[in-house]
Amino acid sequence: MSAAIIDAVSTPLSRAEAEEFLYREALLLDRREWDAWLALYEPDCVYWMPAWRDETTPTEDPDGELSLIYYQGRRNLEDRVWRLRSGQSIASTPAPRTVHAVTNVLVERSDGDTADVAASFTVHRHDVRSEKTHVFFGRYEYVLARGGEGWRVRRKKILLLNDVIPTVIDIHSI
Amino acid sequence: MGSGTDETTTAKRLLTDLVDDRPDEGVFRVDRTIFTDPAVFELEMQRIFEGGWVFLGIAAQAANPHDFFTTTMGRVPVVVMRDGQGALGGFVNACPHKGSRIAQTQSGNARLFVCPYHSWTFDSAGRNKNVKWKKAGCYAEGFDADSHDLARLPAFEEYRGFLFGSLSADVPSLTDYLGEAARLLDLVADQSEEGMELVPGGVTFTYDANWKLQLENCSDAYHFTSAHPSYIRILEKRQEKPDASTTRSVWESNANWSEDAEGVQGGSYSFPGGHVLNWGLLGISDALPLHESAERLAATHGEARRDWMFNLRNLTIFPNLQVAENASSQLRVIRPIAPGRTEMRTWCIAPKGESAAARRQRIRQYEDFFNPSGMATPDDTVSYENCQRGFAGKVQPWLQGYGRGMTASRQGGNLFSDSIGMTPARSVTADAQLCDETLYHSYYREWAKRMAGVEA
Repeated sequence: MSAAIIDAVSTPLSRAEAEEFLYREALLLDRREWDAWLALYEPDCVYWMPAWRDETTPTEDPDGELSLIYYQGRRNLEDRVWRLRSGQSIASTPAPRTVHAVTNVLVERSDGDTADVAASFTVHRHDVRSEKTHVFFGRYEYVLARGGEGWRVRRKKILLLNDVIPTVIDIHSI
Repeated sequence: MGSGTDETTTAKRLLTDLVDDRPDEGVFRVDRTIFTDPAVFELEMQRIFEGGWVFLGIAAQAANPHDFFTTTMGRVPVVVMRDGQGALGGFVNACPHKGSRIAQTQSGNARLFVCPYHSWTFDSAGRNKNVKWKKAGCYAEGFDADSHDLARLPAFEEYRGFLFGSLSADVPSLTDYLGEAARLLDLVADQSEEGMELVPGGVTFTYDANWKLQLENCSDAYHFTSAHPSYIRILEKRQEKPDASTTRSVWESNANWSEDAEGVQGGSYSFPGGHVLNWGLLGISDALPLHESAERLAATHGEARRDWMFNLRNLTIFPNLQVAENASSQLRVIRPIAPGRTEMRTWCIAPKGESAAARRQRIRQYEDFFNPSGMATPDDTVSYENCQRGFAGKVQPWLQGYGRGMTASRQGGNLFSDSIGMTPARSVTADAQLCDETLYHSYYREWAKRMAGVEA
């Protein structure tokens, strides 16, 4: 193995790389480039949006407490994408317009193989069906893992802070 | 209400005008005004939500001494507390001094509530324990003639862990109000010898449409294959290639929702008081989390009652409680906010003591189907909003959604209700395509009675 490859494999994730990755995901969501979005995730990824136990504490145990969304396996995200594109869900048609603004990106821990990344998000959603605009906001916690084709999402936790849901919330708005 | 009109007369005129109920002629129609009119909504608040029995919560939400939870009855904030002796009480969540809310959170534990505004203090039985600086306050005698305790709900009763209250004392006993529909709450309560609990993590959502759309949708078998094809197709996709990452569902191979299924698949029951059930035969499916208890439940409660616990059951206790047991198990509380706005507070209700694997399965199924972030409920609530917008069209005021099942509806019960000793007012036995709509008649007959000022 050449020295250059060893360096690439063992170099921790920089903040600039983390920002690039998160901004890329946000753009793919906003552009509805679903296949490219799904490709950011590992096949066994965890995709998790907790519910809230009470005013101050989100749920922490997905097997014993309710989540808003909890999936183990990219296949479930593929199902959600299928549903959005199917034309068989009135809640998904026509698609809302969104902007994901991702900020406060910090690499909290990284070795050469994995990285924990924290960020804040604001999603502006214009629902063209009801002509109403909502803002969802909260924090992301990622575990990224380096694979053959670069960094991928091993785990994404979406802590939605304004959790009284106006009719619909889906993977395009979080 | 028009000014100068006697209120009761107006109410009766409204009802005659808005619910066209002529059973002898095979006619039942509802004017879409009942979903949009602010005067109707105001009267619903007074006569239904603030004038009779409404569901508050379950006893497990205040399991221990001094536990409390908060809710609303119509527009009135309410706190339900368990006192030091273990007795539950329901109170208006407002300080007698200046009206400030006493309990600030959805739930908690407090031996004493100190009003955050002027520090009047109450114990967990609602008794006033302190009026700050009372002696120095130079109160006249008249002050001492008043009770300074929290206002107790005029009626508050529990049925098998389900707590109900009324802001009017002029109500029948809760047992009389629930009537034979109580047998259906039994089927929920009896799933565990330890009783039921709410899985931590409640979900609240709103929709911009009338509360009665939620009332109807719970009982609506007709919409399922129309509104939820994406969910059904995803279940099929999972079933084609099951693996550890996918969640099974009782619906994935069920004849109930297959349009070409033959024979009796379920039906509906209507009860006095506006309570209704629609149901389907599911069998003792191993896709249900309750499957692990199938033998125990049959031994304890008999096979007939056990089989009913495994049936698909969508129960409404009028006006605001729904327990939906189908893909998973949901307890819903309907809170009307305005004619065109409703808040839903929802929980996964589950038998205490079930295995970790069963609980996990129940939670995954629930999230998929029931959550506003899932793959079915949004297709319902968006449809309610479509209806609400359509209700503005009053060229043809009468809705035609109350006619299916008209010639199938029978007085009394049938073999299925007999098997658990339950006597409904009316029943419909249905194949997969009948999709009874006469159960809504029960809602609107009770609604009309209450709106006319006749207490349930």
